[in-house]
Amino acid sequence: MNETIASRDTVVIDEGVHDVYRILTEGGDALSVPFRTMKDVFMFAAALGYERGEHRPLTGKRLTIFRWAQFTPQTDIPLLKCLAIARIGDISVLLKQDDLLTTAEEYANAGIHELRRSLLTESGQPLWNLVALLVSQDNG
Amino acid sequence: MKLDRITLENFRQYHGKQRLTFSKDSKRNATVIHGVNGAGKTSLFLAINWCLYGEGPSNTGELMSKEAVSGAREGETISTSVELAFIHDGERYLVSRRLVGVKQLDGSVPVANLDDFTMMRTKRDGQAERVNNPIGRMNSILPSNVRTYFIFDGEKIDDFARPEENEQVRYAIYNVLKLEVLERGRNHLQAVANEYRKELKNISRGELHELVEQEEKALDEKQKAILRKDQLEREIESARRKISDIDGRLREMQSASGLAHQRDILDGELTKRQSESDQLVSNIRDLATNGFIVIAQSAVEKALSVLDGKRERGEIPSSIRQQFIQDLLERMQCICGRAFDVGGEEHRRLMALMDSSLPGSLEDNVLDTAAALRPFSERAQSLKDTLDRSMQRRAELFDIIRGLEEQLDDVSRQLKGSPQEEISRLEKQREDFRADIESYKLEQGSLETRLESLALELAALKKKIDAAKKDQTKEDVLTRKMSLAQRSADAIDQMYQTFADEMRERIEAKTKEVFKLLIWKDSHFQDIKLGPDYKLDVIDRYGLSARPDLSAGERQVLSLSFITAMSRVSEEEAPLVMDTPFGRLSSQHRNNITEHIPELADQLVLFVTDEELRDQARANLEPRIGAEYRLEFNRATSCTEIVEVNS
Repeated sequence: MNETIASRDTVVIDEGVHDVYRILTEGGDALSVPFRTMKDVFMFAAALGYERGEHRPLTGKRLTIFRWAQFTPQTDIPLLKCLAIARIGDISVLLKQDDLLTTAEEYANAGIHELRRSLLTESGQPLWNLVALLVSQDNG
Repeated sequence: MKLDRITLENFRQYHGKQRLTFSKDSKRNATVIHGVNGAGKTSLFLAINWCLYGEGPSNTGELMSKEAVSGAREGETISTSVELAFIHDGERYLVSRRLVGVKQLDGSVPVANLDDFTMMRTKRDGQAERVNNPIGRMNSILPSNVRTYFIFDGEKIDDFARPEENEQVRYAIYNVLKLEVLERGRNHLQAVANEYRKELKNISRGELHELVEQEEKALDEKQKAILRKDQLEREIESARRKISDIDGRLREMQSASGLAHQRDILDGELTKRQSESDQLVSNIRDLATNGFIVIAQSAVEKALSVLDGKRERGEIPSSIRQQFIQDLLERMQCICGRAFDVGGEEHRRLMALMDSSLPGSLEDNVLDTAAALRPFSERAQSLKDTLDRSMQRRAELFDIIRGLEEQLDDVSRQLKGSPQEEISRLEKQREDFRADIESYKLEQGSLETRLESLALELAALKKKIDAAKKDQTKEDVLTRKMSLAQRSADAIDQMYQTFADEMRERIEAKTKEVFKLLIWKDSHFQDIKLGPDYKLDVIDRYGLSARPDLSAGERQVLSLSFITAMSRVSEEEAPLVMDTPFGRLSSQHRNNITEHIPELADQLVLFVTDEELRDQARANLEPRIGAEYRLEFNRATSCTEIVEVNS
């Protein structure tokens, strides 16, 4: 029996960061375009936001970038639940899809700025900058 | 509108209740009210204005009869009122305005509230009903801004004849002839047209044309880019074929065949390694983008500690489902088949488990999430290890490829430096073709990037064009609406101008007719002019403007002529109520006015002093008087009594 409460299944971002999502996903060159989908950018940004301890509520005009169905049940959805539990500390959030989305959106809204800085502002190809970001995480 | 009667109660010097009935006879249509100066003519005149329009002193307490106030005891209520009955469009109306106050210890009588204005209407069938909006109804019968042309102080009506009062004349015509209605219609339609124009300005940015042009340019550029890309592809293919031909020829040449063969091997190896490198980059990309599980390690650990904590504290009894406990409780039977009672040990234990258990769906979710998260740490480690190995392999491949390229360069150098000119020439050609291919590929890459950005530009333009097309449709509708509103406003304006001109000309003719009757120097004044500038002028026998030379009396006659002309042209049924109309007039003018004015009004009410109306003037008016009153001032009480004069 599915008792999950959901009033929306769309994932939204602030319109102001849409260009970062686009730059990181549009184009055929793997070195300059490290992500395949906006969902991949969102997941990375959300994890990065949590890791940096930053979450920003969406205040600007909102833009839908993909739908809930694009999250994979093996990795993405458990991670969304993980972020929500880690932030709220209450397991009842597991049944609230809206809260899962809002938590991830707020972390991603903070993490995307860090992602832009590390991948696009630093010198070097974005893919190798992404790898360097992971390596530095490992070392950190 | 015809006045029927007026009843005053404790109004200024009119103590108690006093009544006056106006003449409504069409032949004897004049009501004359005599009074010496100070007897109460102006108060009675004020009573009419106050009752109908609330016009009077700002301190309404001044309207209360001093005699009534003086005679009242402390705490006694004093009422001041004026009732006016009139007939309009065959219906009888009774309007009343009332003030109420209570006498105070110090003798003052503060008025309780604003005056109370009521209107009753008796319909043709005799039924009386209260009019709900008495002020509005009164204004529709005789508008407040029009009544000053029908109910006026005779000594103050020479304004129209003053040279600087063109605007007053225009305003009077505008109000009395209800040009306002047309003007309001015109203004309303003009406002509607302006509103449409504004809206149109907001949406009409002339954008569609520009956007379509941009789209055409982008499509043209895209087409050219595709053609160029195809052309480059053919050029590359051609250069490759030429390189292949050269390689074939070099292989056949004995001095070059060894190096050519070596190059074949190196080329094959290079292609293989490059392919491996490309695949490796693609794998690294996938690993890196999934690297969020590495980043999220601390979140995973925290979440798992929350989830496991629930279990450790027994809050998630993973082996006992809420539904299972529920079933046992319903059956009142243990799993071993033994029955138990309510309140018994088994029952209490099951109830306690029930209270501490979670809904099945949440419990499943907790367990599933924990199960899914638990391998994350291992997965993250594995991802990191794979990524490390991939990066190491990439570095190795980088070195291998660089080495192969160096060897190839060396082969090429040897061939170019061959003592056989043909070999050297062929190798140089080969190098040029390779350089061409690189150059073509560079251009191809640039074109591909441009095509990608053009695809995005075109998609964005398409959206904008769709939106602009919607605006265009709205723009067309608004243009039609604006044009219709503007044409209607212009048509009404034209009607207004035509009607105003026609009315002005009729008033001019009527004013001239009346003025000739009333003025005694009728042979001196030849004409009356009321031009498009609304300047009311008198032309003398020399064809010159005589207005600057008019005496005060002549100006009064001119104004009276204008007012009565307006009243006739407007066909408005209204009384002409004049307070001391003849004070400044010579006997000739009085005689002329009293002879002719009753014919020019439906109903005439004159407040006069005895001096104003005597001798020939009196004789002229006599056959037209239907009612006559004398205002008798009592020196002992300072009050006035209205006394009917029986002729």
